[in-house]
Amino acid sequence: MKIIRFAKLRKSIGVSLFGMAFASCLAGCAGKAAPPGTVFFPPPPNKPKVQFLTSIADSTDVEGKQGGFSLVVTGKEGEQSIRSISKAYGVAVSKGKIYVCDTSGGQLVIIDPVNKKFDYLKGNYGDGKLKKPVNVALDDDGNIYVVDTMRKEVLVYDSMGNYLKSFGKELEKAKPVDIVAYKNRLYLLDIFQGDIKVLDRRTGRLLTTIGKDEGSSKGLRMPVNFTIDKAGFMYVTNAGNGKVIKLDLDGHILGSFGKLGDGFGDFTRPKGVAVDDTGLIYVADGGHQNVQLFSFVDNKSRLLMFFGDPGLPVGSMNLPAGIAVSKDNLAYFQKFAAPDFELEQVIYVINQYGPAKLAIYGLGKMKGDTTEMVAPTSADKSK
Amino acid sequence: MNVRFAGLLLVMTIFPCVAQAADVSCKTAECHTSIGGTQNMHEPVKEGDCSGCHKQTNPLHPLKGAKSFAMTAQGAALCYQCHDAFGKKKVLHPPVKDGECAYCHKPHGGVGPFLLEGGDDQTALCMGCHDAAPFKQKVKHGPVAVGACTKCHNPHESNEKALLRGPVWESCLKCHADFLKSLKGAAFIHPPVKDGPCTSCHNPHGSAVPQLLKKKMPDVCLECHPGLAKKLTAKVPHKPLQDEGGCGNCHSTHFSKSKGLLAGEEKDVCLGCHDTDKLGKPPLRNIKKEIEGKKFLHGPIEMGECKACHSPHGSDYFRLLNKSYPADLYAPYKEGLYDLCLECHEKNLLKFAETTIYTNFRNGKRNLHFVHVVDKRKGRTCRVCHEAHASSGEKLISKEGVQFGEWKIPLNFKITPTGGSCAPGCHRAFKYDRDKPETYGAETK
Repeated sequence: MKIIRFAKLRKSIGVSLFGMAFASCLAGCAGKAAPPGTVFFPPPPNKPKVQFLTSIADSTDVEGKQGGFSLVVTGKEGEQSIRSISKAYGVAVSKGKIYVCDTSGGQLVIIDPVNKKFDYLKGNYGDGKLKKPVNVALDDDGNIYVVDTMRKEVLVYDSMGNYLKSFGKELEKAKPVDIVAYKNRLYLLDIFQGDIKVLDRRTGRLLTTIGKDEGSSKGLRMPVNFTIDKAGFMYVTNAGNGKVIKLDLDGHILGSFGKLGDGFGDFTRPKGVAVDDTGLIYVADGGHQNVQLFSFVDNKSRLLMFFGDPGLPVGSMNLPAGIAVSKDNLAYFQKFAAPDFELEQVIYVINQYGPAKLAIYGLGKMKGDTTEMVAPTSADKSK
Repeated sequence: MNVRFAGLLLVMTIFPCVAQAADVSCKTAECHTSIGGTQNMHEPVKEGDCSGCHKQTNPLHPLKGAKSFAMTAQGAALCYQCHDAFGKKKVLHPPVKDGECAYCHKPHGGVGPFLLEGGDDQTALCMGCHDAAPFKQKVKHGPVAVGACTKCHNPHESNEKALLRGPVWESCLKCHADFLKSLKGAAFIHPPVKDGPCTSCHNPHGSAVPQLLKKKMPDVCLECHPGLAKKLTAKVPHKPLQDEGGCGNCHSTHFSKSKGLLAGEEKDVCLGCHDTDKLGKPPLRNIKKEIEGKKFLHGPIEMGECKACHSPHGSDYFRLLNKSYPADLYAPYKEGLYDLCLECHEKNLLKFAETTIYTNFRNGKRNLHFVHVVDKRKGRTCRVCHEAHASSGEKLISKEGVQFGEWKIPLNFKITPTGGSCAPGCHRAFKYDRDKPETYGAETK
């Protein structure tokens, strides 16, 4: 009964959002008319917190149709080469550049929106040839680490895109699916073993394995994606139990939230997870076709909102997978935002299907909106 | 009819010589002998001119059984023939409103100024009509004590409530000028002082409690600060709140240079009492002595914020602490028991036997805080190694040792770049190293 009820509610909210998109064209939002096509979440009369900004599917979305071209792949001069994203999964943002793992295209797409560049990874040939890149991470030096589930390896490229080395084949019965570079360590998420391998960033040597479920019900279950926040806490999405599990860098489980289901805050196929610099947690769900936004304070989670549900002319998600959140490029993407909607974070979501391969949303608020995404807790107030 | 005027008419009837012409005094050896003779005579009486107020209505005077004189006007109109009329302000004293000036004034003369009978002390005069109870309290306002009611009140009319001579705040500060001078330099002012009225807290006439408060402290304070009531009834009370000084023992109730209207800087206020070995039974620790000269102060003390750990109004926890901390020397860690310390210090400090994150007090990954505190049989509380207020040792590690009955257990703690060592009275000397873990023998525990 509960599932049916929530399913209906979701549908009705989807309809509301659809209506909202058009309503926003007609009546505007938060008192000021939004341009036609503006899609805000949540729907009115709530104050908008997220806006769909734009999407990228190929190089023309970045460079323009008459834009420049790259010699990196084609080697041909004098003609425009349109490079596209076939079917992507993982996404990462570093120093303003967006790194997209094109799994079926066997490419790592590097997008520099400010400088209008859409390139394929330079070192993607020979020993450095990617077969099925699923996730990517960058370290503080700009080195690029790509997890390839077909090669069952991590491939390392320097900041210029030159192939350096690969490692991970020696990991027995492992299937790394996601990677995070944090300080002098690499953290490798293993979906088969249900654990996280900790490797030395420079040597790729396995140092320890953490997060292994020791028979308790709290542990990782088919972990698919993870991230590390600025405070050094890991958040892992688990397809097996529908939970987001928080761990420290020693692998101690500190808490979790979510469960399998279609209620608010539940997950069906949780995939990409990201944490912004204020601690808000974004979880993409391939089943719900949306991103849910949570706070998780003192081991208590709170669903704050969700966005991208089906039914909208633009801004709906289609099998969302990887997600990244960054303050990079705020000024660049502000021009895609509605007048008076001030961006605070840029959210990048990979859609495995549909035209919007890389959908870009902005978290923010209308000028003069004094409401906070997370209301102060009683503990905060007492301080 | 005014009793005094009735008497006056009677006198006039009995002593008919009043009826004589204005140039002939009515007061003779035989007639109207009671008129005058007071310190402050009505000016016409002093001049022997009765005709301003009295007029002859019958040529025969004295006239037995009848009146031969009448007043030249009735009620206040009689007085307004010479005096300015009242009634232009919002509030009138009821006798003024009724035109019964003689309720208060003696028309021929009185002992006191203004034709008043009671001299400078107006208590008897005012209490003739007003309820005397508020003026008979144990603590009296100065003007009340000497019967100077008109110091604050205008007896005829006023634009202020209760016939005050001005707004409450101004009325009070006309005398309390020293207060005004200090108030101007204050950083923090109690809102009732800033915005008035003073009567929010004080009874201007008299009170059963000091400082003319409407109620004793803390009751008077709780009227506006009800949130503190729960604290004041907590298991562990702060003693100053229970004695006569109440809230005023720590707070400067009108204004202050310090936050929270404290009588001084927070730490100074606390150490104002906690600076002796004789406070309480058994005596509380002499915190001032504990802090003085110490190289390392606990962060909140360094910032002068005792209330970071203590709840000065009352607490359900030992030593007025804000949160839970064991009162005993040994208390194995369990969730919530050490919340006071873990509120600021790493929350996961005592959760995991192994860590590389939450403490530097570890041998390799082995969490030595966990080893000491989570021991189910004999979990050592923080105080076994650390001083809560100040220490000469780094990390507030006790240099002198914790009091263990009659013995102070030495710690002999040393820090190295990657670990440290201690040789306490608890166990044999141990070293620890985060990078190259020490291997302990059989005596590990």
